[in-house]
Amino acid sequence: MDIFETPLPGVGVRYEFTAEGGDHVGVVVRRDGKRDLAFYDREDPDACRGTVELSEGDSGKLADLLGGTNIIARLEDLRHTIVGLAIEWVTMPAAGGLVGRSLAEGRIRTETSASVVAVIRGDQGIPGIEPSFIFEPGDVVLVLGSDEAVDRAAAILTG
Amino acid sequence: MIAATAPVTGLRVAVEGAHGDIALVFIELGIIFLVLALLGRLAGRIGIPSIPLYLLAGLVMGEGGFIPIRAGEEFLSIGAQIGVVLLLLLLGLEYSPDDLRVGMQTTWKAGILDLVLNATPGFAVGLMMGWSVTASVLLAGVTYISSSGIIARLLDDFDRLANRETPVILSLLVMEDIAMALFLPILAVMLVGATLLQGAVAAAIAIAIVAVAFLFAMRFSRQLSTAVHSHSRELLLLSVLGLAFLVAGLAEAVQVSAAVGAFLLGLTLSGNVADQLRGLMPPLRDVFAGIFFVFFGIGIDPRDLGPVALPALGLAAVTLVTKVITGVWAARRVGIGPKGQWRTGLSLVPRGEFSIVIAGLGVAGGAQPLLGPFAAAYVLILAVAGSVLMRYADQIPHPLKAAAARSRPRPAV
Repeated sequence: MDIFETPLPGVGVRYEFTAEGGDHVGVVVRRDGKRDLAFYDREDPDACRGTVELSEGDSGKLADLLGGTNIIARLEDLRHTIVGLAIEWVTMPAAGGLVGRSLAEGRIRTETSASVVAVIRGDQGIPGIEPSFIFEPGDVVLVLGSDEAVDRAAAILTG
Repeated sequence: MIAATAPVTGLRVAVEGAHGDIALVFIELGIIFLVLALLGRLAGRIGIPSIPLYLLAGLVMGEGGFIPIRAGEEFLSIGAQIGVVLLLLLLGLEYSPDDLRVGMQTTWKAGILDLVLNATPGFAVGLMMGWSVTASVLLAGVTYISSSGIIARLLDDFDRLANRETPVILSLLVMEDIAMALFLPILAVMLVGATLLQGAVAAAIAIAIVAVAFLFAMRFSRQLSTAVHSHSRELLLLSVLGLAFLVAGLAEAVQVSAAVGAFLLGLTLSGNVADQLRGLMPPLRDVFAGIFFVFFGIGIDPRDLGPVALPALGLAAVTLVTKVITGVWAARRVGIGPKGQWRTGLSLVPRGEFSIVIAGLGVAGGAQPLLGPFAAAYVLILAVAGSVLMRYADQIPHPLKAAAARSRPRPAV
């Protein structure tokens, strides 16, 4: 999806894109932080059928509703829905913990009985983590086990 | 600006002493401000800009009008000058250096067309009425420059900021404002009445000063903004007003015109400071700009409007059409559809504060006695007509054909 960016001198910046359904959606970000959400007219694609003015707080709420923290909320749910089984996403720190070291060195399986299932590095998901896998700062590590085991594994990973 | 009545004021002070005079000053100012407040409300109610009503208020006051203004004149005169400085300071604050760069790159062709189409009629009509070249050039400036104040506010009011044609409109306004910054120093030189050669040399020097100041402004933008910055709004306002008046005064002293000095200062201030000032200063500017419009009106004898009414109406009609042509052409170039082209054209029609600023310079410089009434009539017509046309742009049938190949305009400029 292409997002077009157009400067509006004296006002701010306008972003727009075409939704999959064919509708054009625009957002004007003003310099004072206010946003205008605009829906373009199908008959006259240069004009707006309607606009909504949003304060900075409103935009945050709208972003939440449209996505954003929604995903995190669902992950939270996931952790608590299955009794006796916890799933935790652990973000590796810049340094310390197991950063720069291998999975085998952490002895997570032996000491906590939790399993390291997968790692997300950048945009890439890496399933099937080998014992020789070296962690890097910013890796998001998916750990599976009992509540307690997962917490202890997270402690080992992040140091 | 009005030299004729100034001695009278001085005399009254001498005769009555400070006590009686100050009472009269306050009463007059009180009446003027209340009238402005009422008119501002009225303008909001009927959906037109307040500038034409302020001008009208000035016309019925003062010389030849129904309500004489005597004691407050001195304050109004200085207040009006402060209004010009603040108008230009905030205009500069509105734009970041990037805005200017982008505006110049994307719309310079349309900007040249704009200048040629809309300055020429003013210049020609000036010469036809037998005015001097200087006065005709001033009139060219009056017809050329659209009102970025009126247009930007109406675009927001009519929810058109997100429209695809809006960047075209805003970029053209930027171009005009830059052109004005270059134009004012040249005018200042012409008004002094130098010979052609002296004038050319002085104008070159003035423009060189502006250019150097501009480069300086861009280079030291951050340092100056940091130096001015303060968490106290009072201190920030004092620093910026102090700087603005100082720069305006120095600019005026070297004949670059106070307004341009303020504009450059506005451009220089950036980032956090500019954001704060944009929240802080508009009410102050609007009050003093109101004084400026009223004072401009006060200086005009309504009886002078008669002889200029017809030419002003004719010129307004012609430059209404030329602005529409400019807008349509500029919008078509970037692939805006016919309805959007029409909206662009009509949105450029309103003339306002800067036409009056240019005319005000000429009046102060004594270029042509009829320039004041002419510009007032012209702006009255086009500020009102322009905003009405802008509002109903979508309802007014347009003569533009849809280009067959462009059923779907390109998404961005």
